[in-house]
Amino acid sequence: MKLAALVRKLEKMLGREAVLWRPNDVMLYEYDGLSSLRPPDVVVFPRNTVDVVQIVKFAADHKLLVVPRGAGTGLSGGSLPWQGGILVAFARMKEIVEIDLENQRARVQPGVVNLDLSLAVSDAGYYFAPDPSSQKACTLGGNVAENAGGPHTLLYGVTTNHVLGLEVVLPSGEVIHTGGKFLDPPGYDLTGLFVGSEGTLGIVTEITVRLMRKAEAVATLLAVYDRIIDATRTVAAITARGITPAALEMIDGFTLRAIEEATHAGYPMDSAAVLLIEIEGLKEAVEENAQHIESVCQENRVRQVRRAKSAEERDLFWKGRKNAFGALGRISPSYYVQDGVIPRTRLPEMLEFIEQTATKYGVKIGNIFHAGDGNLHPIILFDRRDENESKRVREAAAQILARCIDMGGSITGEHGVGIEKINLMPYLFSADDLDMMRKIKEVFNPEGRFNPGKVLPTSKMCGELRAEARVGGVL
Amino acid sequence: MTVAAESVPMALAAILGDAQVVSEPAACAAWAVGGKVPKYGVEPPTAECVAAVLKMAADHDLAVIPCGSGTKLGLGSPPSRYDLSVSLRKLNRVRHYEAADLTISVEAGMKLGELQDFLGRDGLWLPLDPRGGAAATIGGILASNSSGPLRLRFGSARDMVLGIRVATTEGKLIKSGGRVVKNVAGYDMCKLLVGSYGTLGLIVEASFKLFPRPASRATWVLEPGTLGRARDLRGRILNSPLEPLRMVLLDSGASGLFRQGTHPGEEPELWIEAGGSPRILERHAKDLAEIGQSMGVASRRMDEQAEQRLWDQLISFEQSLAALHAEVMVLKAALPIAGSEQFLSLARQAAEGEGVRMAGIAQPGVGIVHLGLWAERLGDVTERLVTNVRKSAVSLGGALVVERYPEGFQRERDVWGTPGDVLHSMRGLKAVWDPRGILSPGRFVGGI
Repeated sequence: MKLAALVRKLEKMLGREAVLWRPNDVMLYEYDGLSSLRPPDVVVFPRNTVDVVQIVKFAADHKLLVVPRGAGTGLSGGSLPWQGGILVAFARMKEIVEIDLENQRARVQPGVVNLDLSLAVSDAGYYFAPDPSSQKACTLGGNVAENAGGPHTLLYGVTTNHVLGLEVVLPSGEVIHTGGKFLDPPGYDLTGLFVGSEGTLGIVTEITVRLMRKAEAVATLLAVYDRIIDATRTVAAITARGITPAALEMIDGFTLRAIEEATHAGYPMDSAAVLLIEIEGLKEAVEENAQHIESVCQENRVRQVRRAKSAEERDLFWKGRKNAFGALGRISPSYYVQDGVIPRTRLPEMLEFIEQTATKYGVKIGNIFHAGDGNLHPIILFDRRDENESKRVREAAAQILARCIDMGGSITGEHGVGIEKINLMPYLFSADDLDMMRKIKEVFNPEGRFNPGKVLPTSKMCGELRAEARVGGVL
Repeated sequence: MTVAAESVPMALAAILGDAQVVSEPAACAAWAVGGKVPKYGVEPPTAECVAAVLKMAADHDLAVIPCGSGTKLGLGSPPSRYDLSVSLRKLNRVRHYEAADLTISVEAGMKLGELQDFLGRDGLWLPLDPRGGAAATIGGILASNSSGPLRLRFGSARDMVLGIRVATTEGKLIKSGGRVVKNVAGYDMCKLLVGSYGTLGLIVEASFKLFPRPASRATWVLEPGTLGRARDLRGRILNSPLEPLRMVLLDSGASGLFRQGTHPGEEPELWIEAGGSPRILERHAKDLAEIGQSMGVASRRMDEQAEQRLWDQLISFEQSLAALHAEVMVLKAALPIAGSEQFLSLARQAAEGEGVRMAGIAQPGVGIVHLGLWAERLGDVTERLVTNVRKSAVSLGGALVVERYPEGFQRERDVWGTPGDVLHSMRGLKAVWDPRGILSPGRFVGGI
């Protein structure tokens, strides 16, 4: 279908204000956390499920590609319309439909911003546990698509552990309702299957989530180290002692200096690494665990353990962590964040490996990550205009992820596969594993028109992607 | 493929060896499900053998029902056909264990009790207290996503699984997830298989995240007098800072079975268990006493010697009832949290209206309620009762499943209820995993 005709039909369906198509407008939607391959043909802004069904049916009738998008904060290219088509943006579907505190549930539209939900129930003493670093901007629909994590998922689990029901529009235009406010709905756990399927099985139009009660007490510790190895050993020791903090983050010296310059979080400029450790729960349990953790830090040659004395100081500690990527953006034209996962006991050797890899490829790598669950985020700094350097960055990243797989780990802990890691899937999964995933996809998305070219590699596409990566740079 | 019946034992023997194929009717009767006895039974020694057996069964169009210890074989509708029992009992090894990482991979036939003993040496556990207790196998627990009151604090098996290995009807072994605690690579087929009741594939191995065992535990009993007051009490406890391990509400029928209270009459009891250091237990004791006092309800520590035994009995209350009464039915309602107490009272009305006795045990912090129902003869009351009780569950925004049914109650739709607009998708998934429909045929939702 010609663009003009497509736009006319969509405008008639949704209203003129709900459709963008001019090159300057759609260009804004050609990137998310990854950079562009090409813009969508047209961007639409549905207001409700009925609109989404109309769009999807229209796309089905005309065999058009459909790509959903929340806030575009994803880091694996999950919302990139890299083959064109209709981009469905959820900026207007941002209503909290119901807050049901008695049942500890909320129902939301997919465009609701993660933090806005927690703020809406905060006064009543509740919150939504998954807290990606982008939580001020990222949407719950995107969180569901990517099965997003965050620092506090160490104790409370990732998005899939907090989503109980979904309304989904399938590529055929059929609307289904999985789960609900109650647990154990009879039948296959479709909710669990859809969470993390990256928009390749259907478009989520409503989400039922669990709300949690805020803990009585919180302690936030900042442990300062002169050697990285001591910090990583502390993480392994905390895990081995069976203490599960609410969050256990590590920031290396290089990264924390960049953060400190940008946000003045109070991180010591001359340290090799800090651990940001948060413990939540009953007052008595928090005190016991805080003491226990402090002694583990001491056993592992900590320089100093600081404890936040006020909510303000706690926020400051976290502000540094959550704004880290932005801080690194100040000192480098481009950066590439990895998302590998390893068994937690292997952290000390992995950090050494990352350092060696950085030296070997002549690149700068910062480390800031969810240490408590072994979820690494090595950040490789580079200048994308330098083709030689970009190539070395890709090679270094591939080496690190290969090492994660060798250690029995994974290529993604919370960012998703998207486009970025699609070519790594065959290293993690056998042909038979991938074949079953493809068959599952075909049940819902047989023509592959929903979020094409994501999650599952096809032999044809791998070739194309590699070519794209060479010229445009997926990084 | 059409194959002569006599070649089936030969094909099985070719995979497993002669001695491994059971075909005497008397021996096969041990694996009967819903009155149907399989023609053959096998206990494959390896995951590869399980996969080969499934492929062979698909090629010969043999209907397969997997089993572990058999503690949950009665769950689900009676099978539409049943030729071959595949027991995973022999797959009972620990495949990978990293205590310091708090992760373990075990084969599906391992019993929960064996696993807990193994982990106990390192002060760890898998915090699950499912139906079947220590005898339940990991595979069975996962296939039915079976959980108990510990779910309040730790979630269900669904939340603890890091990865699985599954034998498919194509004879393949495929995996989903892995051994690390955070992993979003690819579709989460763990979620799909957990709770699929053996209708998609056979889970042969699973990896879990582990937890430290609480240093000590204690249970308190509160008697709110009525279900309405129990609801109030539960609300106050859930809204307090306390973090109990388990909380159950026994209605008057159930508290009669496990009587811990002081009242002469049969009144509802709320049991609350906490775990941790002595200071944490003291805090629970103090706050529970205060919350109770605010409603004029006394809080009493359960006899320490009896605690463990009573919780175990509570979890296997179905067996206690079955030992006492000829015809017993067990229903499980899943409800929005706040509906538990009201559901108990609606269910009691329905039961009493039919002259049926009832014991209700709710997990009012998560919205799961189990009802044990019995009478001299349940007979044709059964269906009416299920319909009425299901109506109550649905009216409260939940669902109802029949977990144990008396003889003669064979209608699949009544076991699971109607699944709504997702049935088409579920059938599509079933067709992908089991195109010939040989796995637990007719046992699941919508006749899947």
